[in-house]
Amino acid sequence: MMLQLEGILQALNAGLLLGAHYGLMCVGLSLIFGIMRVINFAHGDFMMLGMYVAFHLFTLLGLQMVFGSAAGPFIAALLAGPVLFLFGYIAQRFLISRVTGTRIGSLEGEGHYAQLILTLGLSLILQSGGQILFGSVPVSIPSDISSTAWELELAGGDVVVFVNQARAVGALIAVAVVALLVLFIGRSRLGKSMRAAADNVQAALYMGLDVDRAHRITFGLGIGVTAIAGGLLASSYPFTPYVGLEYVIIMYAGVVLGGLGSTLGAFWGGLLIGVIQQGSALLLPTQLQNTAIFVVFLLVVFLRPQGLLGRSAERT
Amino acid sequence: MLEIEDLQAGYGGSPVLKGVSLSVGEGEFISVVGPNGAGKTTLFKAVSGTVRPSAGRIRFGGTDLAEVPVAKRPHLGIAHVPEGRQLFPSLTVMENLEMGASTAAGQRDWARNLARVLDWFPILAERRNQLAGTLSGGQQQMVAVARGLTSAPKLLMLDEPSMGLAPAMAEFIFARLVEIHRESRLTILLVEQRVAEALEFADRGYVLEAGRIVLEGTHAVLSADDRVRQAYLGM
Repeated sequence: MMLQLEGILQALNAGLLLGAHYGLMCVGLSLIFGIMRVINFAHGDFMMLGMYVAFHLFTLLGLQMVFGSAAGPFIAALLAGPVLFLFGYIAQRFLISRVTGTRIGSLEGEGHYAQLILTLGLSLILQSGGQILFGSVPVSIPSDISSTAWELELAGGDVVVFVNQARAVGALIAVAVVALLVLFIGRSRLGKSMRAAADNVQAALYMGLDVDRAHRITFGLGIGVTAIAGGLLASSYPFTPYVGLEYVIIMYAGVVLGGLGSTLGAFWGGLLIGVIQQGSALLLPTQLQNTAIFVVFLLVVFLRPQGLLGRSAERT
Repeated sequence: MLEIEDLQAGYGGSPVLKGVSLSVGEGEFISVVGPNGAGKTTLFKAVSGTVRPSAGRIRFGGTDLAEVPVAKRPHLGIAHVPEGRQLFPSLTVMENLEMGASTAAGQRDWARNLARVLDWFPILAERRNQLAGTLSGGQQQMVAVARGLTSAPKLLMLDEPSMGLAPAMAEFIFARLVEIHRESRLTILLVEQRVAEALEFADRGYVLEAGRIVLEGTHAVLSADDRVRQAYLGM
């Protein structure tokens, strides 16, 4: 009985910590997919790029020396955010803007076909380019606390839950970044104009908003935030240039679970996926973990298509 | 304030406006009426910049608008309240109004303009935190007009504000427009299919048919014209 309880609590704890990382990733995609309505196939690959940026900041650029091996990986992950923001901003400026925003009026299917092809192409370029640049040997950004845990003794010491320190720190950072971002999107004038530009491009133009700039910032933020999530994960998980594929599916599932267009909803979606994934390990073999995600995903699409936290306001 | 000379515009080579000239003076309330497909909306889009004229000239307060990109025109003082309202549905009423106040003048006078707008449309104060997409059609139209006003415009252009509204609601909107014009002396350019009301309240009116102005004049002149009486006023 106690053993079972211990297993459940352990899985819940692992799921919540990992889920917070997923949540941050999903929030990044939600800005791009949920708010801008751009289907970004390359989102996972942008995250991969963020992981390698964090890795090289840590090793080559000497963050390890400056901040030590315990805090260094987390600072590297945070710094990968602005770097990838810039990358996303430029990608939107020169590439994605051709199939989104003020241009979609003239494109078939609101530009979705063109977006699919463009971002799929970007994804392939990033994967293959990554392999040329970074090689295919898995790397990671281990922190000194990656394999240490706090022991939580519950029920008078009968139940012990191990809380991985690196993942706990990562989860806390993820939650903090999400909170800041939700405040920014919800409250700041720039955040509101990003949502307005995504809601109705033409009306935003009539209001005199700089729609193209709003889209560049949204795309940059979406990529940057996901890069931070990737960097944080990299302290526990090794990665290769093909890591994006594993996560992009989780990200889309999380965004749809949380409800399109809801930034906070995407976070809960990601968190839920973490819990389902780790929880299913109690019952299912590891290979079937992602199957469990999709069973829940299909159930949500079937029973509550607007997502768990979806808003019912129709978009025009 | 607004001078349009021999304007021609259309979509993909098929002309909609075939040489339209009209002028709006400061403080005037001008109505443009005409049947569906006459080019009323295209006229507005050419002024706000989402349709590019193929010939002719649009001047606003002495500036040639051909040189001014779309997103800069609101900052000159042109507020376009588009056909079909075009709100930001997933933003709240208040956020929609804030987006209206994206111009320098709108930001400077935000508090004063907001108070006036909520005075004209008190229901919006009640619904301030509701998502605009969940409002009724009439309330959405109020948000659209209010959003135009919070930009502190010099010229308010309204494209079919009565479209899709119940008659009582349309009358309410018209009454408010008249009140707004009277109290603020704001220059208003109105495009409408409800010809009787549109001409009644306007200082002057233009009749647009098949891309051309066929008649212009004061309310008295237009409503005395047999064609207008028969075609639009049903008399």
